[in-house]
Amino acid sequence: MKRLLLILFVAMFASGYAQDVDSIMANLSEQEDYKVQATFKSPRLVLLQTNETQKAKNLAFWVGHRFGDIGGEFGSSHTLYGLDLATDLYLGFDYGITDALTVGAGRSKFNESYSALVKYRLLWQEDKGLPFSVTLFGQSSWITREPFSNNEFKDEGDRINHLIQAIVARKFTPGISLMISPGYLFRPEAQVQDAGDEQNLFALGIGGRFKVLKRVSIITDYTFVNGLSRPDDLETEYHNPFGVGVEIETGGHVFSLNFQNSRYITANNFIPNTTKSWSDGGVRFGFAISRNFNLGPRERDDY
Amino acid sequence: MIFIVWIGFTETVRAQFYQTTSASVRFYSSAPVEDIEAISKEGISVINSKNGDISFKVKMRSFRFEKALMQEHFNENYVESEIYPDATFKGKSIGPIDTTFGRTQKVVFKGVFTVHGVSKERELPVIIKMSDDGKIMSLSSEFRVKCEDHDIKIPKILWENIAEVIDVYVNAEYKIISK
Repeated sequence: MKRLLLILFVAMFASGYAQDVDSIMANLSEQEDYKVQATFKSPRLVLLQTNETQKAKNLAFWVGHRFGDIGGEFGSSHTLYGLDLATDLYLGFDYGITDALTVGAGRSKFNESYSALVKYRLLWQEDKGLPFSVTLFGQSSWITREPFSNNEFKDEGDRINHLIQAIVARKFTPGISLMISPGYLFRPEAQVQDAGDEQNLFALGIGGRFKVLKRVSIITDYTFVNGLSRPDDLETEYHNPFGVGVEIETGGHVFSLNFQNSRYITANNFIPNTTKSWSDGGVRFGFAISRNFNLGPRERDDY
Repeated sequence: MIFIVWIGFTETVRAQFYQTTSASVRFYSSAPVEDIEAISKEGISVINSKNGDISFKVKMRSFRFEKALMQEHFNENYVESEIYPDATFKGKSIGPIDTTFGRTQKVVFKGVFTVHGVSKERELPVIIKMSDDGKIMSLSSEFRVKCEDHDIKIPKILWENIAEVIDVYVNAEYKIISK
């Protein structure tokens, strides 16, 4: 009888211990898969667009500045290493219609060009699901300066070019994000500077962000233009745009301090027209500031 | 003797676990420039009313903010949710939990509260209300979390925007697990 009781007790305890708070917790279902946030801190890296879009109902004001050559013929102490000059200046606004769709407009000093952009997040990297994000980017640019010669722009369409890009990005770790963005530039014959150059150009951008501190990252990007559809035997010496910089984030602001060989800010301008190189002093200092404004509460369920 | 064993046996067999997968956790930061509020309704928890054990977990990523950029900053810069995905509490009630139908009582859970990978021994007061049919155990709790205690750093220039002590409100309806 005693033995039977003992067995009963043991069985009772065993059943009691077989299920405890932890084992039940482990079996509760919970959402595991979230969209990966902040692959990049800003919609722009140094030169290229990232896969990031504005949050819904958020407006970002973006200012970019490029100084003159640090070295070489146009640089050195005569121009305070380029700081006397502004090769390009961009002022623009980007607005998030939804978390996935951003529209924007801006104006560049170079060619007095106005540009309009649209960005759409097609695919979104997830913690456990999809391993990468894809954003489609389109930008049209309109040159408004006086023609340099009477027949430079025969009709208004000669002043306009278009760029399309597909930006594929992945956040590998909280500190490392990389992207690759193939693109194609459509431009009219009138905008081709070197007679031997292709009218439309392929471009392939690569870029990355490497966090060094919680709010400070090293950013870099490189765009292949030479070696793709562009002929090798041009009279003009074109170089592939390459930029490297430091990005600092402070709440609603993102600051970027950078160096690049491209004189121009928008991709429509720097993809076809980069003639400066890092090796001959053609590198320049630049900075960008973006300020975010939240224009109204979003609905809680849209995320 | 057999009778006692029998009672013991039925007590064990009778459900003593309560669970929820939709606990609401709301936190509130009140600072000179702005008030920040976030809510998750995805907390999961299990309570063993017999021995007073409790386990509670909420994914940091499940918190929603009114401003999307704040949500991103919360995850990226403050709680680093990719490295420390959960906030948890594991503990035991001080004193028994009375599961008499319709009963409301105050209980203190003593245990380990972990946020941002930093654990603190805490005693959290809760109010437990049993439904009239005994199938639902409602729990509510209010407590404060000091950012500093969990190594969550607020930059000096943002002290006017973010409070150093966060108010946390938990509301949950646990359903009895019948066996």
